[in-house]
Amino acid sequence: MELLWILIKILIVFAVVMLHVMYATYFERKVIGHMQVRMGPMRVGPHGILQPIADGLKLFLKEDIMPTVADKKVFYAAPLICLISALSAVAVIPFFEGFAIANINIGLLYIFAMSSLASYGVVLAGWSSNSKYSFLGGLRSSAQVISYEIAMGLSLVGVMMLAGSLNLTDIVHAQMKSPFKIYLIPQIIGFFVFVVAMFAETNRTPFDLPEAESELVAGYCTEYSGMRFALFFMAEYIGMIIMSCLAVVCFLGGWSGPFDVPGIPFFWFILKVYLFIFLYYWVRATLPRYRYDQLMALGWKVLIPLALFNIVLTGTIKSIFG
Amino acid sequence: MKIKYDTKKKFVEQVFLLEILKGLKLTLKRLFSKSVTVQYPKEKKPLFPGFRGKHALIRNPLTQEAKCVACMRCASVCPARCISIRYSVDEKTRARKVESYDIDALRCIFCGYCEEACPVNAIVLTEDYEYSDYTREPFRFDMERLLKNWDEFLEKNNIEPDNYLNPFLRPRGLPTGELPAGKRIKVPDEWTYEGQVVWRNGKAVSAKEAASE
Repeated sequence: MELLWILIKILIVFAVVMLHVMYATYFERKVIGHMQVRMGPMRVGPHGILQPIADGLKLFLKEDIMPTVADKKVFYAAPLICLISALSAVAVIPFFEGFAIANINIGLLYIFAMSSLASYGVVLAGWSSNSKYSFLGGLRSSAQVISYEIAMGLSLVGVMMLAGSLNLTDIVHAQMKSPFKIYLIPQIIGFFVFVVAMFAETNRTPFDLPEAESELVAGYCTEYSGMRFALFFMAEYIGMIIMSCLAVVCFLGGWSGPFDVPGIPFFWFILKVYLFIFLYYWVRATLPRYRYDQLMALGWKVLIPLALFNIVLTGTIKSIFG
Repeated sequence: MKIKYDTKKKFVEQVFLLEILKGLKLTLKRLFSKSVTVQYPKEKKPLFPGFRGKHALIRNPLTQEAKCVACMRCASVCPARCISIRYSVDEKTRARKVESYDIDALRCIFCGYCEEACPVNAIVLTEDYEYSDYTREPFRFDMERLLKNWDEFLEKNNIEPDNYLNPFLRPRGLPTGELPAGKRIKVPDEWTYEGQVVWRNGKAVSAKEAASE
Protein backbone atom coordinates (compact mmCIF):
# COMPACT_ATOMS: atom_id res chain seq x y z
CA MET A 1 0.00 0.00 0.00
CA GLU A 2 2.85 2.31 0.92
CA LEU A 3 4.59 1.46 -2.35
CA LEU A 4 1.44 2.12 -4.36
CA TRP A 5 1.03 5.53 -2.72
CA ILE A 6 4.64 6.38 -3.58
CA LEU A 7 4.13 5.26 -7.16
CA ILE A 8 1.03 7.44 -7.44
CA LYS A 9 2.99 10.36 -5.98
CA ILE A 10 5.79 9.81 -8.49
CA LEU A 11 3.30 9.70 -11.34
CA ILE A 12 1.59 12.89 -10.24
CA VAL A 13 4.86 14.77 -9.75
CA PHE A 14 6.28 13.48 -13.03
CA ALA A 15 3.19 14.54 -14.97
CA VAL A 16 3.06 17.94 -13.32
CA VAL A 17 6.76 18.58 -13.86
CA MET A 18 6.60 17.51 -17.51
CA LEU A 19 3.59 19.75 -18.09
CA HIS A 20 5.49 22.59 -16.49
CA VAL A 21 8.47 21.92 -18.72
CA MET A 22 6.23 22.06 -21.79
CA TYR A 23 4.64 25.30 -20.83
CA ALA A 24 7.86 26.78 -19.48
CA THR A 25 9.12 26.85 -23.08
CA TYR A 26 5.94 28.56 -24.22
CA PHE A 27 6.02 31.00 -21.32
CA GLU A 28 9.68 31.77 -22.02
CA ARG A 29 9.05 32.56 -25.66
CA LYS A 30 6.08 34.72 -24.78
CA VAL A 31 7.85 36.66 -22.01
CA ILE A 32 11.02 37.24 -23.99
CA GLY A 33 8.97 38.10 -27.06
CA HIS A 34 6.99 40.76 -25.26
CA MET A 35 10.12 42.11 -23.61
CA GLN A 36 11.55 42.56 -27.09
CA VAL A 37 8.26 44.21 -28.20
CA ARG A 38 7.34 41.15 -30.25
CA MET A 39 4.48 38.72 -29.70
CA GLY A 40 6.10 35.32 -29.44
CA PRO A 41 4.26 32.26 -30.79
CA MET A 42 0.83 33.24 -32.09
CA ARG A 43 -0.18 30.73 -34.74
CA VAL A 44 -0.86 27.35 -33.11
CA GLY A 45 -4.11 27.76 -31.24
CA PRO A 46 -5.30 31.05 -29.74
CA HIS A 47 -2.21 33.08 -28.81
CA GLY A 48 -0.07 30.05 -29.68
CA ILE A 49 -1.24 28.11 -26.64
CA LEU A 50 -0.74 24.75 -28.37
CA GLN A 51 2.79 25.60 -29.54
CA PRO A 52 4.56 23.25 -27.04
CA ILE A 53 2.47 20.32 -28.30
CA ALA A 54 3.38 21.12 -31.89
CA ASP A 55 7.05 21.44 -30.92
CA GLY A 56 6.98 18.17 -29.01
CA LEU A 57 5.36 16.37 -31.93
CA LYS A 58 7.94 17.77 -34.30
CA LEU A 59 10.85 16.68 -32.10
CA PHE A 60 9.38 13.18 -31.70
CA LEU A 61 8.98 12.68 -35.42
CA LYS A 62 12.33 14.10 -36.44
CA GLU A 63 15.09 11.90 -37.73
CA ASP A 64 17.60 10.81 -35.10
CA ILE A 65 20.96 11.59 -36.65
CA MET A 66 24.19 10.30 -35.17
CA PRO A 67 27.65 11.40 -36.33
CA THR A 68 29.60 8.44 -37.77
CA VAL A 69 32.66 9.26 -35.69
CA ALA A 70 30.71 9.59 -32.45
CA ASP A 71 31.30 7.30 -29.50
CA LYS A 72 27.97 5.53 -29.81
CA LYS A 73 27.37 4.26 -26.28
CA VAL A 74 28.32 7.51 -24.59
CA PHE A 75 26.46 9.48 -27.21
CA TYR A 76 23.29 7.57 -26.39
CA ALA A 77 23.81 7.71 -22.63
CA ALA A 78 24.64 11.41 -22.28
CA PRO A 79 21.13 12.89 -22.70
CA LEU A 80 19.72 10.18 -20.47
CA ILE A 81 22.21 11.02 -17.72
CA CYS A 82 21.15 14.64 -17.96
CA LEU A 83 17.45 13.92 -17.86
CA ILE A 84 17.47 11.18 -15.24
CA SER A 85 19.63 13.10 -12.80
CA ALA A 86 17.49 16.21 -13.29
CA LEU A 87 14.27 14.26 -12.78
CA SER A 88 15.47 12.33 -9.75
CA ALA A 89 16.30 15.57 -7.97
CA VAL A 90 12.59 16.39 -7.99
CA ALA A 91 12.00 13.48 -5.60
CA VAL A 92 13.18 15.29 -2.47
CA ILE A 93 11.42 18.60 -2.98
CA PRO A 94 8.60 19.22 -0.49
CA PHE A 95 5.80 20.82 -2.47
CA PHE A 96 3.60 21.30 0.57
CA GLU A 97 3.30 20.07 4.14
CA GLY A 98 4.09 16.37 4.15
CA PHE A 99 4.25 15.96 0.38
CA ALA A 100 7.68 14.92 -0.80
CA ILE A 101 8.27 11.67 -2.65
CA ALA A 102 11.34 11.00 -0.51
CA ASN A 103 11.66 12.93 2.71
CA ILE A 104 15.34 12.13 3.28
CA ASN A 105 17.71 13.68 5.76
CA ILE A 106 20.31 14.76 3.22
CA GLY A 107 17.88 16.36 0.79
CA LEU A 108 20.04 19.39 0.10
CA LEU A 109 23.18 17.35 -0.54
CA TYR A 110 21.20 14.99 -2.75
CA ILE A 111 20.06 17.86 -4.96
CA PHE A 112 23.65 19.11 -5.22
CA ALA A 113 24.81 15.64 -6.18
CA MET A 114 22.14 15.31 -8.84
CA SER A 115 22.76 18.71 -10.37
CA SER A 116 26.48 17.90 -10.54
CA LEU A 117 25.69 14.58 -12.19
CA ALA A 118 23.63 16.40 -14.81
CA SER A 119 26.73 18.28 -15.85
CA TYR A 120 28.41 14.91 -16.49
CA GLY A 121 25.78 14.38 -19.14
CA VAL A 122 26.75 17.68 -20.72
CA VAL A 123 30.47 16.95 -20.59
CA LEU A 124 30.05 13.45 -21.99
CA ALA A 125 27.77 14.72 -24.75
CA GLY A 126 30.43 17.23 -25.72
CA TRP A 127 33.15 14.62 -25.70
CA SER A 128 31.32 11.79 -27.45
CA SER A 129 30.01 13.92 -30.32
CA ASN A 130 33.54 14.18 -31.68
CA SER A 131 32.91 17.70 -32.90
CA LYS A 132 34.96 20.71 -31.90
CA TYR A 133 31.97 22.85 -31.01
CA SER A 134 30.46 20.17 -28.82
CA PHE A 135 33.83 19.54 -27.22
CA LEU A 136 34.35 23.21 -26.38
CA GLY A 137 30.85 23.36 -24.98
CA GLY A 138 31.52 20.35 -22.78
CA LEU A 139 34.82 21.76 -21.59
CA ARG A 140 33.27 25.05 -20.67
CA SER A 141 30.45 23.31 -18.88
CA SER A 142 32.82 21.28 -16.71
CA ALA A 143 34.87 24.33 -15.74
CA GLN A 144 31.81 26.44 -15.10
CA VAL A 145 29.94 23.89 -13.06
CA ILE A 146 32.95 23.14 -10.85
CA SER A 147 33.43 26.84 -10.12
CA TYR A 148 29.83 27.60 -9.39
CA GLU A 149 29.05 24.40 -7.53
CA ILE A 150 31.40 25.57 -4.79
CA ALA A 151 29.82 29.00 -4.57
CA MET A 152 26.37 27.48 -4.53
CA GLY A 153 27.21 24.95 -1.84
CA LEU A 154 28.84 27.60 0.32
CA SER A 155 25.93 30.00 -0.12
CA LEU A 156 23.58 27.41 1.36
CA VAL A 157 25.82 26.66 4.34
CA GLY A 158 24.35 29.71 6.07
CA VAL A 159 20.87 28.25 5.63
CA MET A 160 22.05 24.90 6.99
CA MET A 161 23.57 26.65 10.01
CA LEU A 162 20.36 28.54 10.77
CA ALA A 163 18.08 25.57 10.20
CA GLY A 164 20.40 22.98 11.71
CA SER A 165 19.31 20.42 9.16
CA LEU A 166 19.80 19.26 5.57
CA ASN A 167 16.27 17.96 5.31
CA LEU A 168 14.30 20.30 3.08
CA THR A 169 11.06 19.91 5.04
CA ASP A 170 12.90 20.71 8.27
CA ILE A 171 14.45 23.78 6.65
CA VAL A 172 10.99 25.10 5.80
CA HIS A 173 9.75 24.35 9.31
CA ALA A 174 12.77 26.10 10.82
CA GLN A 175 12.05 29.15 8.67
CA MET A 176 8.45 29.31 9.85
CA LYS A 177 9.71 29.42 13.44
CA SER A 178 12.43 32.01 12.74
CA PRO A 179 11.76 35.70 13.60
CA PHE A 180 11.62 36.88 9.97
CA LYS A 181 9.59 33.84 8.78
CA ILE A 182 11.90 33.56 5.74
CA TYR A 183 15.67 33.22 5.48
CA LEU A 184 15.84 35.82 2.72
CA ILE A 185 16.42 38.64 5.18
CA PRO A 186 19.09 37.16 7.48
CA GLN A 187 20.72 35.37 4.53
CA ILE A 188 20.57 38.14 1.93
CA ILE A 189 24.21 37.66 0.93
CA GLY A 190 23.75 33.94 0.66
CA PHE A 191 20.63 34.49 -1.41
CA PHE A 192 22.47 36.77 -3.81
CA VAL A 193 25.29 34.26 -4.26
CA PHE A 194 22.79 31.44 -4.67
CA VAL A 195 20.78 33.25 -7.35
CA VAL A 196 23.89 34.02 -9.40
CA ALA A 197 25.22 30.48 -8.99
CA MET A 198 21.77 29.16 -9.87
CA PHE A 199 21.95 30.79 -13.29
CA ALA A 200 25.39 29.34 -13.90
CA GLU A 201 24.43 25.89 -12.64
CA THR A 202 21.55 25.59 -15.10
CA ASN A 203 23.58 27.02 -18.01
CA ARG A 204 21.20 29.90 -18.52
CA THR A 205 21.99 33.40 -19.77
CA PRO A 206 24.16 35.27 -18.82
CA PHE A 207 26.19 32.11 -18.11
CA ASP A 208 25.11 30.02 -21.09
CA LEU A 209 28.68 29.46 -22.27
CA PRO A 210 28.31 25.69 -22.79
CA GLU A 211 25.73 26.23 -25.50
CA ALA A 212 26.68 29.75 -26.59
CA GLU A 213 24.76 29.94 -29.88
CA SER A 214 26.75 32.79 -31.31
CA GLU A 215 30.13 31.12 -30.78
CA LEU A 216 29.64 27.35 -30.58
CA VAL A 217 26.62 26.71 -32.85
CA ALA A 218 24.76 24.98 -30.02
CA GLY A 219 27.62 23.89 -27.77
CA TYR A 220 27.35 20.40 -26.35
CA CYS A 221 24.11 19.57 -28.19
CA THR A 222 25.31 20.60 -31.65
CA GLU A 223 25.32 17.03 -32.96
CA TYR A 224 22.08 15.99 -31.33
CA SER A 225 18.77 16.02 -33.14
CA GLY A 226 15.16 15.05 -32.66
CA MET A 227 14.24 13.34 -29.42
CA ARG A 228 17.78 13.23 -28.06
CA PHE A 229 18.02 16.98 -28.35
CA ALA A 230 14.63 17.27 -26.67
CA LEU A 231 15.98 15.25 -23.72
CA PHE A 232 18.69 17.85 -23.16
CA PHE A 233 16.13 20.56 -23.50
CA MET A 234 13.84 18.96 -20.94
CA ALA A 235 16.76 18.40 -18.57
CA GLU A 236 17.64 22.09 -18.79
CA TYR A 237 14.11 23.17 -17.96
CA ILE A 238 13.71 20.63 -15.17
CA GLY A 239 17.02 21.92 -13.81
CA MET A 240 15.58 25.43 -13.83
CA ILE A 241 12.48 24.27 -12.00
CA ILE A 242 14.56 22.42 -9.40
CA MET A 243 16.83 25.37 -8.77
CA SER A 244 13.78 27.61 -8.40
CA CYS A 245 12.25 25.11 -5.97
CA LEU A 246 15.50 24.99 -4.01
CA ALA A 247 15.64 28.77 -3.78
CA VAL A 248 12.03 28.86 -2.61
CA VAL A 249 12.58 26.11 -0.03
CA CYS A 250 15.84 27.51 1.34
CA PHE A 251 15.22 31.25 1.25
CA LEU A 252 11.54 32.07 0.71
CA GLY A 253 9.90 29.79 3.24
CA GLY A 254 8.68 26.99 0.98
CA TRP A 255 4.92 26.49 1.00
CA SER A 256 4.23 28.99 3.79
CA GLY A 257 2.62 32.28 2.86
CA PRO A 258 1.01 35.34 4.44
CA PHE A 259 -2.31 33.46 4.66
CA ASP A 260 -3.51 29.95 3.87
CA VAL A 261 -5.30 29.41 0.58
CA PRO A 262 -7.98 26.79 1.32
CA GLY A 263 -7.86 23.70 -0.88
CA ILE A 264 -4.56 24.58 -2.58
CA PRO A 265 -1.78 23.77 -0.08
CA PHE A 266 0.90 24.30 -2.74
CA PHE A 267 -0.39 27.72 -3.83
CA TRP A 268 2.40 29.82 -2.32
CA PHE A 269 5.07 27.32 -3.31
CA ILE A 270 4.01 27.33 -6.95
CA LEU A 271 3.65 31.09 -6.99
CA LYS A 272 7.18 31.60 -5.68
CA VAL A 273 8.59 29.04 -8.12
CA TYR A 274 6.89 30.84 -10.99
CA LEU A 275 8.45 34.08 -9.81
CA PHE A 276 11.90 32.52 -9.98
CA ILE A 277 11.24 31.03 -13.41
CA PHE A 278 10.09 34.44 -14.54
CA LEU A 279 13.34 35.84 -13.17
CA TYR A 280 15.25 33.39 -15.38
CA TYR A 281 13.45 34.68 -18.47
CA TRP A 282 13.67 38.27 -17.38
CA VAL A 283 17.44 38.04 -16.96
CA ARG A 284 17.75 36.20 -20.27
CA ALA A 285 15.91 39.00 -22.05
CA THR A 286 18.15 41.61 -20.42
CA LEU A 287 21.75 40.45 -20.15
CA PRO A 288 24.27 39.40 -22.79
CA ARG A 289 26.61 36.47 -22.21
CA TYR A 290 29.62 36.78 -19.92
CA ARG A 291 33.05 36.35 -21.40
CA TYR A 292 34.82 33.21 -20.19
CA ASP A 293 37.43 35.01 -18.05
CA GLN A 294 34.72 37.24 -16.58
CA LEU A 295 32.75 34.16 -15.67
CA MET A 296 35.71 32.61 -13.88
CA ALA A 297 36.62 35.90 -12.19
CA LEU A 298 33.09 36.38 -10.94
CA GLY A 299 32.90 32.85 -9.62
CA TRP A 300 36.26 32.65 -7.85
CA LYS A 301 36.96 36.27 -6.92
CA VAL A 302 33.51 37.49 -5.97
CA LEU A 303 31.02 34.76 -5.24
CA ILE A 304 33.16 32.31 -3.28
CA PRO A 305 34.69 35.01 -0.97
CA LEU A 306 31.20 36.46 -0.52
CA ALA A 307 29.79 33.07 0.41
CA LEU A 308 32.66 32.44 2.85
CA PHE A 309 32.10 35.87 4.40
CA ASN A 310 28.42 35.03 4.74
CA ILE A 311 29.27 31.83 6.60
CA VAL A 312 31.56 33.71 9.02
CA LEU A 313 28.95 36.41 9.55
CA THR A 314 26.14 33.91 10.13
CA GLY A 315 28.32 31.91 12.53
CA THR A 316 29.32 35.03 14.48
CA ILE A 317 25.78 36.31 14.80
CA LYS A 318 24.48 32.88 15.71
CA SER A 319 27.10 32.41 18.42
CA ILE A 320 26.36 35.85 19.87
CA PHE A 321 22.55 35.82 19.78
CA GLY A 322 21.64 32.14 19.50
CA MET B 1 43.35 51.92 -31.55
CA LYS B 2 43.15 52.06 -27.82
CA ILE B 3 40.00 50.90 -26.18
CA LYS B 4 39.11 52.83 -23.10
CA TYR B 5 37.14 50.87 -20.58
CA ASP B 6 35.07 52.66 -18.01
CA THR B 7 36.82 51.25 -14.97
CA LYS B 8 36.07 54.03 -12.54
CA LYS B 9 32.59 52.88 -11.59
CA LYS B 10 31.41 53.95 -8.22
CA PHE B 11 31.80 51.27 -5.61
CA VAL B 12 28.10 51.37 -4.70
CA GLU B 13 27.15 50.96 -8.34
CA GLN B 14 29.24 47.85 -8.60
CA VAL B 15 28.12 46.22 -5.39
CA PHE B 16 24.41 46.65 -5.97
CA LEU B 17 24.59 45.92 -9.72
CA LEU B 18 22.87 49.19 -10.53
CA GLU B 19 23.48 48.88 -14.26
CA ILE B 20 21.93 45.43 -14.34
CA LEU B 21 18.94 46.64 -12.34
CA LYS B 22 18.50 49.49 -14.82
CA GLY B 23 18.48 46.98 -17.65
CA LEU B 24 15.98 44.80 -15.83
CA LYS B 25 13.74 47.81 -15.29
CA LEU B 26 13.81 48.58 -18.99
CA THR B 27 12.91 45.06 -20.05
CA LEU B 28 10.12 44.92 -17.50
CA LYS B 29 8.73 48.16 -18.85
CA ARG B 30 8.83 46.75 -22.36
CA LEU B 31 6.98 43.64 -21.22
CA PHE B 32 3.86 45.72 -20.77
CA SER B 33 4.23 47.78 -23.91
CA LYS B 34 2.29 47.03 -27.05
CA SER B 35 4.21 44.89 -29.50
CA VAL B 36 5.03 46.25 -32.92
CA THR B 37 4.37 42.98 -34.74
CA VAL B 38 1.99 43.03 -37.68
CA GLN B 39 0.38 39.57 -37.94
CA TYR B 40 0.93 39.57 -41.68
CA PRO B 41 -1.62 37.40 -43.45
CA LYS B 42 -4.28 38.53 -40.99
CA GLU B 43 -3.28 42.18 -40.68
CA LYS B 44 -1.64 44.16 -43.41
CA LYS B 45 0.20 47.41 -43.28
CA PRO B 46 -1.48 50.29 -45.09
CA LEU B 47 -0.03 51.00 -48.52
CA PHE B 48 0.84 54.52 -49.45
CA PRO B 49 -0.24 56.09 -52.74
CA GLY B 50 2.33 55.35 -55.35
CA PHE B 51 3.16 51.89 -54.07
CA ARG B 52 4.68 49.99 -56.97
CA GLY B 53 3.44 46.41 -57.15
CA LYS B 54 2.20 43.97 -59.74
CA HIS B 55 2.11 45.22 -63.31
CA ALA B 56 -1.16 45.77 -65.15
CA LEU B 57 -2.40 47.27 -68.38
CA ILE B 58 -5.38 49.53 -67.79
CA ARG B 59 -8.40 48.35 -69.75
CA ASN B 60 -9.97 51.05 -71.85
CA PRO B 61 -13.64 51.17 -70.79
CA LEU B 62 -14.76 52.03 -74.34
CA THR B 63 -12.99 49.34 -76.32
CA GLN B 64 -12.30 46.82 -73.54
CA GLU B 65 -8.76 46.66 -74.94
CA ALA B 66 -5.48 47.98 -73.60
CA LYS B 67 -4.88 51.71 -74.00
CA CYS B 68 -1.37 51.13 -75.33
CA VAL B 69 -0.51 52.93 -78.56
CA ALA B 70 2.88 51.23 -79.03
CA CYS B 71 4.87 54.44 -78.67
CA MET B 72 7.70 52.39 -77.11
CA ARG B 73 8.44 55.00 -74.45
CA CYS B 74 8.07 52.53 -71.60
CA ALA B 75 10.33 50.02 -73.27
CA SER B 76 12.94 52.71 -73.93
CA VAL B 77 12.89 54.18 -70.44
CA CYS B 78 12.93 50.83 -68.66
CA PRO B 79 16.33 50.54 -66.95
CA ALA B 80 15.98 46.78 -66.53
CA ARG B 81 14.81 46.24 -70.11
CA CYS B 82 12.06 43.98 -68.97
CA ILE B 83 9.39 45.31 -71.34
CA SER B 84 9.25 44.00 -74.91
CA ILE B 85 6.64 45.22 -77.35
CA ARG B 86 5.96 44.09 -80.93
CA TYR B 87 3.65 46.12 -83.12
CA SER B 88 2.51 46.34 -86.71
CA VAL B 89 1.78 49.48 -88.72
CA ASP B 90 -1.34 49.84 -90.74
CA GLU B 91 -0.27 50.65 -94.33
CA LYS B 92 -3.05 53.18 -94.96
CA THR B 93 -3.61 54.98 -91.66
CA ARG B 94 -0.05 54.61 -90.33
CA ALA B 95 -1.65 53.60 -87.02
CA ARG B 96 0.32 51.26 -84.84
CA LYS B 97 -1.25 48.11 -83.52
CA VAL B 98 0.22 46.27 -80.57
CA GLU B 99 0.92 42.65 -81.49
CA SER B 100 2.36 41.59 -78.14
CA TYR B 101 3.27 43.29 -74.89
CA ASP B 102 5.43 41.27 -72.53
CA ILE B 103 6.85 42.13 -69.13
CA ASP B 104 9.34 39.92 -67.35
CA ALA B 105 8.34 40.69 -63.76
CA LEU B 106 11.35 38.87 -62.38
CA ARG B 107 13.63 41.31 -64.15
CA CYS B 108 11.60 44.38 -63.25
CA ILE B 109 13.09 46.64 -60.58
CA PHE B 110 9.79 48.41 -59.86
CA CYS B 111 11.12 51.92 -60.53
CA GLY B 112 7.83 53.13 -61.96
CA TYR B 113 9.41 54.86 -64.96
CA CYS B 114 7.14 53.03 -67.39
CA GLU B 115 3.92 54.35 -65.88
CA GLU B 116 5.44 57.80 -65.58
CA ALA B 117 6.54 57.84 -69.21
CA CYS B 118 3.37 56.41 -70.69
CA PRO B 119 1.53 59.25 -72.48
CA VAL B 120 -1.87 57.54 -72.37
CA ASN B 121 -1.63 55.98 -68.91
CA ALA B 122 -1.83 52.48 -70.30
CA ILE B 123 0.60 50.72 -67.98
CA VAL B 124 0.39 50.94 -64.22
CA LEU B 125 2.04 49.31 -61.24
CA THR B 126 -0.87 48.35 -59.00
CA GLU B 127 -0.90 48.08 -55.21
CA ASP B 128 -1.07 44.29 -55.43
CA TYR B 129 2.07 42.67 -54.05
CA GLU B 130 1.03 39.12 -53.19
CA TYR B 131 1.78 37.08 -56.28
CA SER B 132 4.44 34.57 -55.32
CA ASP B 133 4.66 31.27 -57.13
CA TYR B 134 6.78 28.15 -57.42
CA THR B 135 7.93 28.54 -61.03
CA ARG B 136 9.18 31.39 -63.19
CA GLU B 137 6.55 30.99 -65.86
CA PRO B 138 3.74 32.90 -64.09
CA PHE B 139 5.96 35.97 -63.86
CA ARG B 140 6.23 36.46 -67.62
CA PHE B 141 3.21 38.67 -68.13
CA ASP B 142 1.81 38.86 -71.66
CA MET B 143 -0.84 41.35 -72.72
CA GLU B 144 -3.74 39.09 -71.82
CA ARG B 145 -2.29 38.41 -68.41
CA LEU B 146 -1.60 42.12 -67.80
CA LEU B 147 -5.20 43.03 -68.62
CA LYS B 148 -6.36 40.25 -66.33
CA ASN B 149 -4.10 41.64 -63.58
CA TRP B 150 -5.95 44.93 -63.89
CA ASP B 151 -9.37 43.28 -63.63
CA GLU B 152 -8.26 41.21 -60.66
CA PHE B 153 -6.80 44.24 -58.94
CA LEU B 154 -10.03 46.21 -59.33
CA GLU B 155 -12.12 43.30 -58.14
CA LYS B 156 -9.93 42.49 -55.17
CA ASN B 157 -9.83 46.08 -53.89
CA ASN B 158 -13.35 47.06 -54.93
CA ILE B 159 -12.19 49.99 -57.04
CA GLU B 160 -14.19 51.64 -59.78
CA PRO B 161 -11.92 51.89 -62.85
CA ASP B 162 -12.74 55.59 -63.24
CA ASN B 163 -11.75 56.39 -59.67
CA TYR B 164 -8.34 54.78 -59.75
CA LEU B 165 -5.59 57.31 -59.11
CA ASN B 166 -1.87 56.85 -58.84
CA PRO B 167 0.71 59.63 -58.40
CA PHE B 168 2.64 58.24 -61.37
CA LEU B 169 -0.26 58.77 -63.72
CA ARG B 170 0.46 62.47 -63.41
CA PRO B 171 4.17 63.06 -62.68
CA ARG B 172 4.98 65.94 -60.35
CA GLY B 173 7.95 67.36 -62.13
CA LEU B 174 6.08 68.92 -65.02
CA PRO B 175 3.51 71.71 -65.13
CA THR B 176 0.13 70.84 -66.59
CA GLY B 177 0.89 72.53 -69.89
CA GLU B 178 3.86 70.34 -70.59
CA LEU B 179 2.08 67.06 -69.88
CA PRO B 180 0.68 64.93 -72.71
CA ALA B 181 -3.09 65.11 -72.91
CA GLY B 182 -3.54 61.65 -71.46
CA LYS B 183 -1.74 62.57 -68.28
CA ARG B 184 -3.72 65.72 -67.49
CA ILE B 185 -6.06 63.84 -65.21
CA LYS B 186 -7.62 65.19 -62.06
CA VAL B 187 -5.55 64.30 -59.02
CA PRO B 188 -5.29 65.69 -55.46
CA ASP B 189 -3.70 69.10 -55.40
CA GLU B 190 -0.44 68.05 -53.74
CA TRP B 191 0.19 65.50 -56.49
CA THR B 192 0.33 68.18 -59.19
CA TYR B 193 3.29 70.28 -60.17
CA GLU B 194 1.44 73.41 -59.10
CA GLY B 195 0.63 72.10 -55.66
CA GLN B 196 4.03 70.54 -55.09
CA VAL B 197 6.03 71.99 -52.21
CA VAL B 198 9.82 72.09 -52.31
CA TRP B 199 12.44 73.21 -49.86
CA ARG B 200 14.38 76.32 -50.88
CA ASN B 201 16.76 78.27 -48.59
CA GLY B 202 15.19 76.86 -45.47
CA LYS B 203 11.64 77.65 -46.52
CA ALA B 204 8.84 75.57 -47.98
CA VAL B 205 7.78 77.14 -51.26
CA SER B 206 5.68 75.88 -54.14
CA ALA B 207 7.53 74.30 -57.03
CA LYS B 208 6.27 76.99 -59.37
CA GLU B 209 7.79 79.77 -57.27
CA ALA B 210 11.04 77.86 -56.94
CA ALA B 211 11.25 77.48 -60.72
CA SER B 212 10.61 81.18 -61.36
CA GLU B 213 13.37 82.31 -58.99
